[in-house]
Amino acid sequence: MASILIANRMFGFVCLLAIMLAVAYFIRRAQGGNVPKVRRIPGIDAMDEAIGRAVEMGRPVVASHGIANLRDSTTGPQTIAGLSVLSYVAKKCAEVSTRLIVPVRQPEVWPIAADVVETAYKMAGKGEEYQQSDIMFLSTEQFGFSSNYIGLLMREKPGANIMIGAYWAESMQLAETGSRVGAMQISGTAQTSQIPFFLVSTDYCLIGEEIYAAGAYLTNEAPLIASLAGQDFGRMIAVILGLIGALLTTALTAAGNPLLTVMSW
Amino acid sequence: MSNVLRRIEIPIILTIIATLLQVIPYYINIPVINDTANTVNLWVLLVVAWATFIGPLSLMQVHGKAVQKRGKGWYFSVVVLAATIIMSIAGLPIAEVGLGTTNAVYQWLFTYGQTPLSGTMYGIIAFFITSAAYRAFRAKNIEATLVLVAGLAMVMYNAPVFTASWPGFRIIGQWIYDVPNMATNRAVTIGAALGAIALAVRTLMGIERGYLRGGSD
Repeated sequence: MASILIANRMFGFVCLLAIMLAVAYFIRRAQGGNVPKVRRIPGIDAMDEAIGRAVEMGRPVVASHGIANLRDSTTGPQTIAGLSVLSYVAKKCAEVSTRLIVPVRQPEVWPIAADVVETAYKMAGKGEEYQQSDIMFLSTEQFGFSSNYIGLLMREKPGANIMIGAYWAESMQLAETGSRVGAMQISGTAQTSQIPFFLVSTDYCLIGEEIYAAGAYLTNEAPLIASLAGQDFGRMIAVILGLIGALLTTALTAAGNPLLTVMSW
Repeated sequence: MSNVLRRIEIPIILTIIATLLQVIPYYINIPVINDTANTVNLWVLLVVAWATFIGPLSLMQVHGKAVQKRGKGWYFSVVVLAATIIMSIAGLPIAEVGLGTTNAVYQWLFTYGQTPLSGTMYGIIAFFITSAAYRAFRAKNIEATLVLVAGLAMVMYNAPVFTASWPGFRIIGQWIYDVPNMATNRAVTIGAALGAIALAVRTLMGIERGYLRGGSD
């Protein structure tokens, strides 16, 4: 048994299982008709407004899912969250026949983004309006991508610029340029170092976990929304452990702290 | 047969298997699963290597069309196409004919083209930060005032001219960095991790389909 379980990771494993079970429980409960109430997120509510504004101005919509790939354990989920938002944005753009431009950095994500957008247009019965050349691979180089993106914003002058996903140093360049061309901007990332840049330069910013909630929130499907309530259970675990840890660390030395001993399992 | 292969359950099942193969070996040591995970990781490298060709193809499509139409700034597209083609050919790993990353043309383009251009793009962030700070640092309400005060304190903490004239700037800046900043940072990080776990559960249960054909069956 000891050889199967990897030392120092069991506490994290137990916490992960508990949170996953809580999320699964709330999803199952919602499938039975019991849907929890979820707070409104202004940035997500503003998606329709941003697209509508672009339509009124006769300008295109630019939607980016970040610059990360799908493989990284911390940034990959952000790309998936960005693609979920892209799916919704594409659907809305197709419904109102607005041009949607999707800048892509990772070649491996390009087919997925193209598929998501193409399907959205076909589902809206406007498959002929889908332009594959609008799903633009820009560059795998970080600043090659950002300079291309900036040029795109300056040339196309979009009415809305939606950026949900993992971003690094280019976040400020993109958000500031979007602001200069007068685009209504909705941003979101779980990269803590980039959140302040998005906060000051864009109209709405989804902070951290809100980007993961966006896909569920936009679909308005009960099981997806219920999963957000399951996160509260994990939040409670984090708060309780934080409080116990702070109290015990204050009262005891690290060597004699029983919580630290448990957490090192 | 083609209809069966196009069913949405197939990518969902593949996603579930791939996810479990990455998660299980992290916590539990089962040699068979570890070996399978390692093999799948090699497959991923191959898939990514092949996907590399998709990027230039899209690039050619977009910029080729721009050159063909002779629209505004079409000559920039010529530069992009020429640089892509020259760099791709010069960088081909065929050392016998003098190609590869040591090729003189490749080296020249990399050293005198790509490197300074990347450096310039990184450098101009300072100007973007300045213009953003000008708009953001306005005491419009209590929250904005707090941001303004904290921002100014951090500027003073990082500028030697201030810390040299009054060491208190260092103490205040360090406190802001270590206490409120750290607390917020951890809260966002924990929240993001919980969000990612919920996303993983939705994906494993096959109900998160936004990334698959727009969520359609």
